[in-house]
Amino acid sequence: MIHPNMAAIDQDVVVSGLNVGKTFAAGTVIALQDATFNIKRGSFVSLVGPSGCGKSTLLRLVSGLITPSSGEINVHGTPVLGPRSDISMMFQKATLLDWRTALENVLLPTEFQRTLTKADKSRAMELLELVGLKDFAFSFPAQLSGGMQQRVALARLLQTGADILLLDEPFGALDEFTREHLNIELMRIVAEVGATTIFVTHNITEAIFLADQVVVMTSRPGKMAKIIDVELERPRALSIQTSVAFNKLVEDVRDTLEAV
Amino acid sequence: MAATNVGSYEHSTAKLHTVAIKRMAIHAIIFFCFIGLWEFGSRMGWLDPLFYPRPSAILHSFWLIYVENGNIWFHLYATMSLVLFGWIAGSVLGIALGSLVGFNPLVRRFLKPYVIVLEATPRIAVAPLLIAALGFGSMSKIAIIMLVCFFAPFINTLSGVVNVNEDRLELFRSLRASKMQVLRKLVLPDAIPVIMSGERLALTAALSGALVAEFIQRDQGIGSLILVYTRNLNMASAFACIFTLTVLGFLIFKGMEMLDRYIAFWKYEEGRVRISQKRREKMKGTSHVG
Repeated sequence: MIHPNMAAIDQDVVVSGLNVGKTFAAGTVIALQDATFNIKRGSFVSLVGPSGCGKSTLLRLVSGLITPSSGEINVHGTPVLGPRSDISMMFQKATLLDWRTALENVLLPTEFQRTLTKADKSRAMELLELVGLKDFAFSFPAQLSGGMQQRVALARLLQTGADILLLDEPFGALDEFTREHLNIELMRIVAEVGATTIFVTHNITEAIFLADQVVVMTSRPGKMAKIIDVELERPRALSIQTSVAFNKLVEDVRDTLEAV
Repeated sequence: MAATNVGSYEHSTAKLHTVAIKRMAIHAIIFFCFIGLWEFGSRMGWLDPLFYPRPSAILHSFWLIYVENGNIWFHLYATMSLVLFGWIAGSVLGIALGSLVGFNPLVRRFLKPYVIVLEATPRIAVAPLLIAALGFGSMSKIAIIMLVCFFAPFINTLSGVVNVNEDRLELFRSLRASKMQVLRKLVLPDAIPVIMSGERLALTAALSGALVAEFIQRDQGIGSLILVYTRNLNMASAFACIFTLTVLGFLIFKGMEMLDRYIAFWKYEEGRVRISQKRREKMKGTSHVG
């Protein structure tokens, strides 16, 4: 992230927010206050913080599912007024349609835009291969494990063709081993498709491990407390988590969270 | 090690098999004891054969009404076509009104009191009024069946349409689906299993409705046949009719279950495997041609 005033001249900024705030219940609940940020093309940003810090709210604001009470969010230089084609979101639950096969679930976003072509279908097949589910293209969600269902959701996310991916604790409901494994795959995949990623989590290790920048958020009211650059080399292996540099970053995040 | 496992597995399935056979045998023994006791009690004069005909007499009546006289077929046909027409008409009405009300919050709000009143009223009580209004004949009979079997599909369609999964709705919104797409690709498929269970209840209700209609207008059908036999104190034949209805009810239940497995296939592992295979072959077929 760079200073907001530079946004106008920096072509590399794809998502920016200026004094973004969101209140609920007729202004009595402040979910997010005064968030100002710039996110560069192709970067991976983690939002980390306790529940109620507004990280999910911020993500939903960027997605256009909700509109800010104050301030403005811009994506590719135009204000976000509602859900749009260059932004796509993935939720904590896989939210697949039970009556559709994995392949048909991946094709859903395209079906909303146009009549399916052969190219769409082979693209969806490629994406299923990318997430390691080629052999399960014709399986129904009930025939897949929780981790596999999230992989389908990930393929569906990529099928939208959006270059800005928003992930709201996507693997939060999975067990530790599956989550670690999927995190590594996620890093590989977003690097491969060259997407800009905003990733919400309450797991500090996960936030640092994945990201180029970690945004530490604190609650009551929800706000951005600190932005920490993660200058660890890529590709990253799990073993990096025991390194001194990594633990310094963890300490930094913890200190920020405890300072308030 | 592996060999032992396989052995014990086979052993356990064989065991399960014998358990199943044993259970069936016990069921058969209980059933025949009951029938035997009934027959014996009737012959000994403990049960009045006038009201409780012997199993052997009922069996004989079955022979009479199905084969020798063959008079039940006409009535069976009459009742079944009545059930089918009434059920389909009632379901169509129920599903249509259920969706209409489900999609219109305003209509829902103002219609709710009437729905509650209608639900609290035993609908069969209205049957004589319907006959008075529509006259004797199939029209009023079908109207009675529609009345008794309309409600389950109506309520189930309504709740299926109203209770759309919030997460899925949000997903559809984030993917910029149109209102029509939300309806066709989310709301309707999601409501199918619930609608199907409503249809199952409706078909069972339709059979009861048909009987009541036939009790009132004793012109044709199994209901009127039962009435005639009872009046003539031919209880054995009346029982044969009742058991015929038992079989019919069972067939309806099984038929609806099969229909459910076909339409809401994704709820059953067998259905998922079958359709999964089908889709795979279809995809292969198109890619082969293209």
